[in-house]
Amino acid sequence: MNFALKMYRWLARAFPHEFKMMYGADVIQLGEDIVEDVARQNGVTGLARLVADIAIRVPVEYVTEMRRDLVYAVRTLAKSRGFAAVGIISLGLGIGISAVGVSETLNLLLRDAPGARDADQLVAVQGVSYPYFEHYRDQHDLFSAGAAFQPSVPFNVLLPGGGKPERLFGQLVSPEYFSTLGVNAARGRVFSPDLDKPGNSPVVFISDAFWRQKLNADPEAVGRTIRVNGQLATIVGIGPKDFDGAMPFFVSEIFVPTTVPPAMAPELSGDVIHKRESKGFIALLRMAPEVQLKSAEAGLDALTRHLDEDSLDPARNAKGRRVMLLPGGKILPIPRDLLPAVFTFMVFLDGLIVALACMNLANMQLARATARRKEVAIRLSVGASRFRLIRQLLTESVLLALGGGATGILLAFWVANLMRRMKLPFPMPIDFNITPDWRVIVVVFAIALVAGIGFGLAPALAATKTDLASTLKEGMVGQMRGYRRFGFRNILMVCQVAGSLTLLLIAGFLVIGFNRSNNVEIPFDSNTMYLLSLDPVRDGYSAEKAANLFDRLPQELQSAPGVRQVALAVTAPFSPLAAVSVLSATGQNGAPDQVVRGVARNAVGANYFASLDVKMLEGREFNSRDENIEPGPDKALPVVINTTAAHAFFADSEPLGRRIADSGKSYEVVGVVKDLSAPMSQTAVGQGNTVVPVVYLPLTKADFAHPPINGMIVMIRADRPGADTMQGVRSQLATIDPNLNPFDVHTLTEEVDSTQSYLRLATFIYGGIGVFGLILASIGLAGVTAYSVARRRKEIGIRMALGAQKRQVLALVLREGGGLVIVGCLLGMLAATGLSRALSAFSNILGPSFQAGTHDPRLLVGAPVLLAILAMIACYIPARRSTKIDPLNALREE
Amino acid sequence: MHDPEYFLPLKSNWFCILLALAGGEQHGYGIMQRVLERTDGKIRLWPATLYGSLKRLIEQELIEESAERPAPEFDDARRKYYRLTVLGRRVLAAERDRLQDLVGALRKVEALE
Repeated sequence: MNFALKMYRWLARAFPHEFKMMYGADVIQLGEDIVEDVARQNGVTGLARLVADIAIRVPVEYVTEMRRDLVYAVRTLAKSRGFAAVGIISLGLGIGISAVGVSETLNLLLRDAPGARDADQLVAVQGVSYPYFEHYRDQHDLFSAGAAFQPSVPFNVLLPGGGKPERLFGQLVSPEYFSTLGVNAARGRVFSPDLDKPGNSPVVFISDAFWRQKLNADPEAVGRTIRVNGQLATIVGIGPKDFDGAMPFFVSEIFVPTTVPPAMAPELSGDVIHKRESKGFIALLRMAPEVQLKSAEAGLDALTRHLDEDSLDPARNAKGRRVMLLPGGKILPIPRDLLPAVFTFMVFLDGLIVALACMNLANMQLARATARRKEVAIRLSVGASRFRLIRQLLTESVLLALGGGATGILLAFWVANLMRRMKLPFPMPIDFNITPDWRVIVVVFAIALVAGIGFGLAPALAATKTDLASTLKEGMVGQMRGYRRFGFRNILMVCQVAGSLTLLLIAGFLVIGFNRSNNVEIPFDSNTMYLLSLDPVRDGYSAEKAANLFDRLPQELQSAPGVRQVALAVTAPFSPLAAVSVLSATGQNGAPDQVVRGVARNAVGANYFASLDVKMLEGREFNSRDENIEPGPDKALPVVINTTAAHAFFADSEPLGRRIADSGKSYEVVGVVKDLSAPMSQTAVGQGNTVVPVVYLPLTKADFAHPPINGMIVMIRADRPGADTMQGVRSQLATIDPNLNPFDVHTLTEEVDSTQSYLRLATFIYGGIGVFGLILASIGLAGVTAYSVARRRKEIGIRMALGAQKRQVLALVLREGGGLVIVGCLLGMLAATGLSRALSAFSNILGPSFQAGTHDPRLLVGAPVLLAILAMIACYIPARRSTKIDPLNALREE
Repeated sequence: MHDPEYFLPLKSNWFCILLALAGGEQHGYGIMQRVLERTDGKIRLWPATLYGSLKRLIEQELIEESAERPAPEFDDARRKYYRLTVLGRRVLAAERDRLQDLVGALRKVEALE
């Protein structure tokens, strides 16, 4: 009984302060009065109920109080709408922007490919030949299943209804593909090695999206025949709704087995299935249970080394790791080693943004807490507990933070939607799905909550730590501590200015760097050039017939009215290049070979440079004879190089007639051309260069026979802008062969625009981040200055009463703010410079941009000056109010 | 002031307390004893629940603390006394009517059987 009473008393003291003040004593008293009765009548059960009753009521009372706090907080915030709006919007912007960043990263790196079973067990090896894959798959001690596939394969699909074939993207997959992924068909069947054998009549598997959009969800779709690349094929199955294929970053609507004849999938021509040199496949392997990634990797590495020894590949004795296992069940196979770097960058940038928003909120809360001192003092004096008041103020911050979180999520969805509609500079369709998922929403709300509590606590503590009597006596202002140089508020302010400037500078470096390194210079009116793509192999042509077509196509199109020049190319002019090849120039007179890394190759047809109005600096450009050269040991392919490449290979000596070689082939330099813009080119790690060395190769019969995934690009230079020239070109094409399907017809202006859209998005986002930082810093400064003015109201009043001029008072207030801004700016500059160095070492995409941007005087001088000006304006507005203080009023408040 | 109907049906704790106070003002212990007696010991309002309910009843203005003290020989100086407000009385009456209607309806059904 004594124990029960002890528990009872202890619990009664745990009631919320307010309840305890009113009823605490009564509850204890009543308990003591009845405990003996209860023990006598009901025994232990009764005592237990007595204690249980109070144990339940304590939390109930807390919840009730919290609910009341919430109502009160909503009312207070509703009264100061401006404050609430600024708080919610700035936090929302911060959280929203970082949520997009987090979603993007989480999606690409961490989200499992939808539909795949046990996606964590899936690993992938890139650049594998089919025979090697077969060896990999048969390592049953390491892998329980395996498949080979090629993503982003274009197919010209003609539906049963007839009409024009449509160019769709899909995957070329080995028959084990679906069983390896663990995917079953929603209708029909999946491929299997038993049913799908070479020589069987061709079959295809389609995605749910294909079935719904292209076949109107026809229930009889399975068993129907469609034409794929001109060949008849039977639909054997339809995928489940959530299945987007392996690595769904690349959109896949149709799946074609590797057992179909090459006529239906030109990727298979040349007997690639049996060629160990054709490393165009991705091996998707499911690790056997209990097998660790490391051991699987080591096992595959040893196997590959063994297989390589039997080959004639000159690299067969190379040292180092041969196989790197990538996560196979994710949206995009990003090497695990890169994860920490990517995460650090993301966490850092997003953390900075959120921290800024939070610091800002804290500053605003501090300023507001000053204004509420009197309210707080009154409530304290009538008996409210400090804890209760702090909770009350915290409820407000948490409410603000949650409002900010909700705004942030809305913003994130909006930006995600904006990004999804943007065409990205890739030749194949990309599913850049950055829809914020539930994890991000959880993370965002967690951040918001932590921010709300963390940054609401300090102001709440400060607000409730007042000397009651003097606050009430002195009225509005309250007892203030003296000016402290290293006070919490000042440090916060300096951090905020420094953080904003860091953000502004980093964003500025990126924007200016992006724009500078990706500026496109076109020596003629880009509206006079049209680009169209042709892929005759997928229109049912044989390799020979396709080569033949391209051979005569330029001359035939040239005869269309208004056409000045026609040329062929594998990639559109002024589009991004991948500077990833390693080539070497043969040394002269016994000098060692000059090896150049990070060279871009670009295959172009005859008269390519003429059609771009680019004059050769030296030598000649390709003609149609170059396209018919059969390269052999004694016959080198002619190449044209740009000036950067000429310098890299031959320094200052004469490049014409010199030889360049890669692992297998040798080339002869026949011409030199100036550097052409290639925005967003992927440079080699550490190259840190915005202009890449380019080696132009002539198009050959092999290129004609297997056009790349974006088809062969036909560049048509017209005499003047306007679409009528294209009319003639189209009818000319139709007379050559009505079955040819030109696609992607657009002007060079549009081409450059769409490449730049990604840049514009980056500019928009990073610019937005920078501006956001600026706005935040200004709001914060204005808040702090307003606070400081309010705090020194009396002092200013006395000074003015003693004859101080308005100018002097203004200077006094501004000096304080100015000092903080200067210290903040200096720290910000240091941080930004250090960070941009660290970041450019991190990433070969950011590197060149940073290098181009960090030395820009517009930024290095402009950003701090801009921030300082804004900050001073932010200080000036509340400072001006200080000069309006009527000395009489200020003193009378004494 | 709320419409008495707003509180109907009354929570059973509230009903017990209002009923206990209908006979005159009373302190917490007294309310508990009355409820206990009236229900033959079946319902005991445990202290924390009792005071939680009293607090809410005061907030809803169904009862109030009484300034008047009973005759000195019955007075317990340590205790607060509570009594019904006008609204409280009306709520109790409304609850009575509601229950009567229910019982009447039940009787009719029984008579038909």
